[in-house]
Amino acid sequence: MLIPHPLLGPRDAQEFTYLGDARLIDRPDSSAPDAEAAFCDYVFLRDNPAGVHRELWFHEQGDRSWLVVTRDTVTHEVLGAELARNVPLSRTRCGK
Amino acid sequence: MSDLRPITALGAALPRLASFGALEIRENGGLALASLVLRRGTVEPTPFGLTLPGPGRCVAGQGVAAVWTGLDQWMIEAEGRAELDFAAELKQLAPGCSVTEQTDGWVAFEIVSRAGSRPLNALLSKLVNVDLADFGPGRATRTGLEHMTCFVIRRGDAHIAVLGARSSAGSLWHALETAAKRLEER
Amino acid sequence: MTRLAGGLIDRSRTLNFSFDGKRYQGHPGDTLASALLANGVRLVGRSFKYHRPRGVLSAGSEEPNAIVELRSGARQEPNTRATVVELFEGLQARSQNRWPSLGFDALAINDLLSPFLTAGFYYKTFMWPKGFWEKLYEPAIRRAAGLGRLSMQADPDIYDKGFLHCDLLVIGGGAAGLAAALTAARGGARVILADEDFRLGGQLLSETGTLDGGQATNWISALEAEFESLPNIRVMRRTTVFGVYDHGIYGAVESVSDHFPEANGCVRQTLWRITAKRAILAAGATERPIAFADNDRPGIMLAGAMRAYANRWAACPSETVAVFTNNDDGHHTARDLAAKGVQIAAVIDARPEAKARGDYRLIAGGMVTGSRGRLGLKSIKVQENGRSEWIECGALGVSGGWNPNVHLFSHHRGRPVWNEPLQAFLPGEEGALGLIPAGAAAGHFSTADALRSGAQAAQRAMDELGIAASLPDLPRAEEADYTVAHVFHVPGKKRAWVDFQNDVTVKDIKLAHAENMGPVEHLKRYTTLGMATDQGKTSNVTGLAVMAELTGRSIPETGTTIFRPPYTPVTLSVLGGGDVGRHFRPRRLTPTHHWAKAQGAVFVEVGQWMRAQYFARAGETHWRQSVDREARAVRGAVGLCDVTTLGKIDVQGADVGEFLNRLYCNMMATLKVGRVRYGLMLREDGFAYDDGTCARLAEDHCVVTTTTANAGLVYRNMEFARQCLWPELDVQLISTTDAWAQIAVAGPKSRALLARIVDGFDLSNEAFPFMACAELTVCDGLRARLFRISFSGELAYEVAVPARYGHALIERLMELGADLGATPYGTEALGVLRIEKGHAAGPELNGQATAAMVGLGSMVSQKKDSVGAVMSRREGLAGDRRRLVGLRAVDPAGKVVSGSHLFAEDAPRKFDTDQGWITSACYSPHVGSMIGLGFLENGDERLGEVIVAANPLEGESARLRVVPAHFVDPEGARLRE
Repeated sequence: MLIPHPLLGPRDAQEFTYLGDARLIDRPDSSAPDAEAAFCDYVFLRDNPAGVHRELWFHEQGDRSWLVVTRDTVTHEVLGAELARNVPLSRTRCGK
Repeated sequence: MSDLRPITALGAALPRLASFGALEIRENGGLALASLVLRRGTVEPTPFGLTLPGPGRCVAGQGVAAVWTGLDQWMIEAEGRAELDFAAELKQLAPGCSVTEQTDGWVAFEIVSRAGSRPLNALLSKLVNVDLADFGPGRATRTGLEHMTCFVIRRGDAHIAVLGARSSAGSLWHALETAAKRLEER
Repeated sequence: MTRLAGGLIDRSRTLNFSFDGKRYQGHPGDTLASALLANGVRLVGRSFKYHRPRGVLSAGSEEPNAIVELRSGARQEPNTRATVVELFEGLQARSQNRWPSLGFDALAINDLLSPFLTAGFYYKTFMWPKGFWEKLYEPAIRRAAGLGRLSMQADPDIYDKGFLHCDLLVIGGGAAGLAAALTAARGGARVILADEDFRLGGQLLSETGTLDGGQATNWISALEAEFESLPNIRVMRRTTVFGVYDHGIYGAVESVSDHFPEANGCVRQTLWRITAKRAILAAGATERPIAFADNDRPGIMLAGAMRAYANRWAACPSETVAVFTNNDDGHHTARDLAAKGVQIAAVIDARPEAKARGDYRLIAGGMVTGSRGRLGLKSIKVQENGRSEWIECGALGVSGGWNPNVHLFSHHRGRPVWNEPLQAFLPGEEGALGLIPAGAAAGHFSTADALRSGAQAAQRAMDELGIAASLPDLPRAEEADYTVAHVFHVPGKKRAWVDFQNDVTVKDIKLAHAENMGPVEHLKRYTTLGMATDQGKTSNVTGLAVMAELTGRSIPETGTTIFRPPYTPVTLSVLGGGDVGRHFRPRRLTPTHHWAKAQGAVFVEVGQWMRAQYFARAGETHWRQSVDREARAVRGAVGLCDVTTLGKIDVQGADVGEFLNRLYCNMMATLKVGRVRYGLMLREDGFAYDDGTCARLAEDHCVVTTTTANAGLVYRNMEFARQCLWPELDVQLISTTDAWAQIAVAGPKSRALLARIVDGFDLSNEAFPFMACAELTVCDGLRARLFRISFSGELAYEVAVPARYGHALIERLMELGADLGATPYGTEALGVLRIEKGHAAGPELNGQATAAMVGLGSMVSQKKDSVGAVMSRREGLAGDRRRLVGLRAVDPAGKVVSGSHLFAEDAPRKFDTDQGWITSACYSPHVGSMIGLGFLENGDERLGEVIVAANPLEGESARLRVVPAHFVDPEGARLRE
């Protein structure tokens, strides 16, 4: 596969390490009253859809950036990729 | 001045040098390295007069060069300054940045072709998965080479440098030498 | 039979070769198959199951019959297709699957037993008695069946791999591929043209049709010259594109020196990973046979192959041949062979309306219903309008129509679509992105159509890439019609072969149908149709057609099978990429490696690292002697150990303290400059993950260490935390593991030794206490870092210098420490020392242990959030009462074996009474017996108790006393001296 790196252009997937569901970015608030249940979901429950999925990939043999790649798990079509660090920042900016 | 004698990454007193047909591979023992990373809110510095390059690029100045290594992050090289505290010098020139000494973290092999870019490209195509149509002078990339993570820097049309982890210098030399020999045999 | 006239062979040179020990001669340009045919050899192999005599069927990579063993000694290679083996001087080939000889094969008895060896016989026959399968049936079947034999020696040749990128990859160098490559190359695109053959031209080489009124080879030669002059096209002959992968990535094998007697130190094959923006599938088409009774005799071959052998290789299996066809193409064979002076006994065309295309006897509306000739064809039985006759001929060309080679198109689940007029599957709409079929692979069978479709496909690809490419002037070529009738097999009672290689007949398909194995995938597995090394290139569609007929459905309703990579067999050696033995994977050497080697160190692989395991001295005959000596030296004097392999990560930035606080379960933000703190990382699920130290060199600068094994993973996780979890923190990470040579100087005399190298640095306990760190210089001005940390429990330091000085530093320390008893020690003694001190390491931090289990529960800060903190408090983890304890054999000579399970002394040894296990064990020279560490239920409350360690693998058990995990200096006074 080729991963369209937002800074470096298309790069062979062999340069990357795969992690999985991009929801891992949303680490729960440990001080919330339901923290344990929220962490349980966070650690053990992952989406694994047949279709469009947002996933974390690490450019280990490259610039060491974590990317959020949007990929169709059925066709392997990659619909986009962005730097993971920009994802939580924009979320904070949106005030969510 | 300490009387301890350094050894090269390949474990010898002197850097290794070998020729294979039109290609010459030279261990560059004198190359000083330090990484430079912007901190939050710092202004991009111009150490040694270098304008820091963008993604996938490198720039060279007088005996110094900068290679983009990641977002807001560069490797700064200085020829012949391995025995000096290059990181300290760079730190002076890059206020507010994080600077980390890297000289001994890497082994640098300079590969020069006496017959233009062709043999170099042939060599690269055996080693790294890089689109050579877009890898002219001024380009640099980090990628896998025989399961080792390396920087490949296009210093010139007929000159590349490969930087790999110092501890695997022997394996990296083996990979380069094997590929170069096979080209020579053809 | 001798050679015919003409052909693309170089008669000025002769090549000697042997087959089954008999010597023959051929010419450059020959394949092994063409040379054998030219020498009158029709019988070349035996079939898989029935050991039936077989001859060459095809002239290409689809060959199911002519499978031979090539070369000898370590280079012996089984299952090579004689039809694609390029002849070279001295070639040795042997037939396979026969004993004692090809002409007389004892296992031909299987043929007589065929009523018992039908489809699915494995499943029915060898089911009982239970246990016989493994011991008797399977070994016997394996001996009897199967193809060639391996040399059982290591492959002496070398293999290579590489990476190529292009705008357009053209797969196949026939008419369509050449036209496509020409169009794109002239347009300036970067083109790769790959063809499996050693000569460009594809089917053009086998035909007599002209291009612009001249020989096709003239046009090809001109094109080759043009390609040679263009810098933007790479022509790769002998290169098979075997697989299509996601996003335009193609796998190809280039056969570099298979056509030489020996590779002679050169690369034999190269595996290429090609990344192409667009690709054109111009892989041509494969002819299929018609199944009829006894259609597998040597001499019966594909009509197109027969024509190819005559035209390209000037060879023919017999002086008298017949043709059996259901389409126009069979007539071309008769026409071309007649022109070469071969006697045409008859052309049998299944179509009643068929017309003769030359001066030969045509039997229109006829069928071949049988054949004779034990080791080679003698005559065929022909039926027409209720009449039957035997016609004598030494060879029969059969054409059941042509199947476009859609295989690569299907690698991305592109379903081929049935085309009724062509009676064949064509590439459908879906398939690999950017792969465009052209030429015969797309159903354009005439040369003129193929040329046009290739050029148009290339132009379309160029359009999509925004490259201006105009259609080139294409040569005038034959526009022959192609009509084909729906005839796949001739009905009859005798066996008619569909899959020659796996011996699958029409009867077997009928049986599969009768036993309800109708779906294509069931049919395949039940009968093994299409599952041999040729992957059913000549048989799949026929098999489908027969099944369709039996079920009364159409072929498209019956389905298609999915083709998967590889297109043709690929050797494991080339997939392995070439590096074997010592160079199989990169090795990392420590800065003191060469020194250690000179000291007689024995090395051990730790991940990619080579570490000194122990330093054997003269007179030491057992490793334990070395290890005991080294461990004692550390406890009694001073030892030196290279610990460079521990991961070192440089952490800088304004928020260093906060960042590390969130990563380590214990408090790190409060760490003062000039101090080191032990740190434990948890996984987010609450289990202990990795431990190390954190040294604060400045308010905004820390150096953290990781275990050797987890260096890369911890760095990855730290980057995850930095980029994904808390990008708002100002932190920068750089791995500096290799940059510093780090040497542990451990033992009561370590301070005295270091005092001899530091430059005016106060090492006193007051100035530089336990867990202090500093940047300083040593040996007159060498930059260094010093950490007062201990893994052994002794007064100890780690000193780091730029890696290039590691070798000189350890030499200097040894020299200056000679009078202090300085001793190098390896990983083995390191392990003994840490077990004696009760330090948890890899065997304890195995991913199943909590901080509390390893005795570090109190480290998990309750005052802050950190990775894993919340989950470490969940019931299941907090309630785990196993604790790390020390274990000592009650009998001083007793054994302590890691992996043993722990039980109360009087308890039965069962799963539900299991109370833990031994994680680490060693002989302790300090204690004077074997000791161990282990996790034990309520271990912290059972000190002094005697328990049993059971090692059922060895049938052993031992009584052990539970003791504190610190066998040495439990108060930790030595560390702080």
